[in-house]
Amino acid sequence: MATKQGFFSRLFDGKHAVISIPYFWFIMLAAIPILIILKISLSEMQGTSVSNMIDWSNGWPKLTLNFSSYQFIFSDSLYLKTYLSSIQYALLTTLICLVIGYPFAYFMARSPKHLQPMLLMLIMLPFWTSFLLRIYAWKTLLENNGIINNALMSLGVIDTPIAMMNTSFSLMVGMVYSYLPFMILPLYANLSKLDIRYLEAAADLGTSPFKAFWLITVPLSKAGIIAGSMLVFIPTIGEYVIPELLGGSSTLMIGRVLWNEFFSNNDWPMASAVAVVMILLILVPMAIYNKSQAEAEAK
Amino acid sequence: MATAPKEINQPAPEVLLRVENVTKIYDGTVKAVDDVSLTVNKGEIFALLGGSGCGKSTLLRMMAGFETPTKGKIHLAGQDITNLPPYQRPINMMFQSYALFPHLSVWENIAFGLKRDGMPKGQIAERVEKMLNLAQLGKFAQRKPHQLSGGQQQRVALVRSLAKRPQLLLLDEPLGALDKKLRETTQLELVNIIEEVGVTCVLVTHDQEEAMTMASRIAVMSEGYFLQVGEPDTVYEMPNSRKVADFIGNVNIFDGVIEEDEADHVTVRCPECVHYVGHGVSGHTGMEVGVALRPEKIMLSDKKPKGEYNWCQGEVIEIVYFGAHTTYHLKLDSGKVIKAQELNNTRDLSCGLTWGDRAYAHWNDLAMVVLAQ
Repeated sequence: MATKQGFFSRLFDGKHAVISIPYFWFIMLAAIPILIILKISLSEMQGTSVSNMIDWSNGWPKLTLNFSSYQFIFSDSLYLKTYLSSIQYALLTTLICLVIGYPFAYFMARSPKHLQPMLLMLIMLPFWTSFLLRIYAWKTLLENNGIINNALMSLGVIDTPIAMMNTSFSLMVGMVYSYLPFMILPLYANLSKLDIRYLEAAADLGTSPFKAFWLITVPLSKAGIIAGSMLVFIPTIGEYVIPELLGGSSTLMIGRVLWNEFFSNNDWPMASAVAVVMILLILVPMAIYNKSQAEAEAK
Repeated sequence: MATAPKEINQPAPEVLLRVENVTKIYDGTVKAVDDVSLTVNKGEIFALLGGSGCGKSTLLRMMAGFETPTKGKIHLAGQDITNLPPYQRPINMMFQSYALFPHLSVWENIAFGLKRDGMPKGQIAERVEKMLNLAQLGKFAQRKPHQLSGGQQQRVALVRSLAKRPQLLLLDEPLGALDKKLRETTQLELVNIIEEVGVTCVLVTHDQEEAMTMASRIAVMSEGYFLQVGEPDTVYEMPNSRKVADFIGNVNIFDGVIEEDEADHVTVRCPECVHYVGHGVSGHTGMEVGVALRPEKIMLSDKKPKGEYNWCQGEVIEIVYFGAHTTYHLKLDSGKVIKAQELNNTRDLSCGLTWGDRAYAHWNDLAMVVLAQ
């Protein structure tokens, strides 16, 4: 009896109540929806609605699993190709963001202290305009009779417009443009904390500034590189709006497939299965990476 | 160690580092180092001692190459290194709080500088091994810096800066991050390692004990220039100014006037007492001077001393017990408070004085230093 009382009083004391709020939101807004998606992906197409998700037999819930959606995903090469191409675009976006963002963050962190808030502000400024609006703005820039082509043609640099819209180029421009701040901010936070004495010590031991950058600055900013890369890679892999508006039909991205399955084909089990595979594609490499990191730390 | 007996036929010391009229001005106005000149001889451990903001660190950073002098030259072994970048100087530095690379193991930290020199792998391994033995850290070669204690980190930092066999070793507050007990043992370890390697050393510290125990010469710095340069005992026993006397250890200073000025003695009349100084000074009768007297040179007793010189009388207003010694604060009749330090050489408090007692303080005629105003 005593233990039971202890359990309940512990459950409802202030400390646990405070912790339980984020848990509650996590369960309501992440865990349960994902479980619903998982269940839908394992059911048949007919009769899937939230109300009759659970099959009843003799008053007991019955679990029937149907793997046909998954079978279809792995038998149709289009899905596999789309997954691969999504990963490729996401990786390339991450890489380009890193290459552009790292020097950006580095010089921001090294600039005079009183300028840094302003530079930070400039990075955030685009967020004050709607995301959709900014993507549309790129459309008017990149179109065949858009601003860039018109300008180049009136200058006589080119005779016929360069086809930039609806290519992988326009897709990459949109994705890098949109996700660059997510790379810069964690990198900046990390690099501005870098102790300048490590660089002095490296110089003192005979390292030129260029070498010191690769031997000291880059390894010490690893956490920032990883955080920035995750923040870019994870959302871009499932990105829907940018491929839809800038990528056109020739660029294969899993977000578009997902949308089609849900809203054009109305095939909820299929769409859910596509989503589940995507989540696994992201989670599994992350879990492996985290584990290897934890092991390296423990060593 | 600091006071090695001087030999008569000592060869002329070889100058390794020569700093000539170096000035460093920040932002056009702040003079951090003001026209400083100094020479450091080969094999010496030279200490720059001063409070925070006195310019000692700036001077050290100019030797390392992290700062460029606004004016003046720095020569190392005859070569002008004033404008040489730090990575081209045969000088290594042990940083305050060590600056060990956190992502590299102890082994890699020590090998870092050697690899940059393009030393063959076999030689690097050999040298690192030697350094690890020197620091008694053989077992910890594969650890990361954060897995070591403060004392171990300090030794890694030291041997990392020694690994390249620099001509000059710079130490920036080498013991600042350690607690008192560890500091005492580490001080000697540090000096032993430095002497074993035989490297010339410039050390920056705000801790006078650290400077005294480690250095063969000390420069006392204040506001960007040197107040006094000399061996530790000289600086302590013969300070050349009130500032130096005040900065190094505790001191009581009596203001007075030279009354009698002879070749073998002088007397100084102060409001509290008359000092009889058993040696001549460069001054003249009627000159206003300060007489500096260290607390440990004052003896206390409850009996009136003989003679008319070198004693005064007061009331014990404070007793501070330190274990090995006790400091008594004595309020003289003039209102001046002096400190006297008595050695606790027996287990009962030796002179038996307590709060409110009247006591006589006396000292012998070679205990004090006469300082010009």
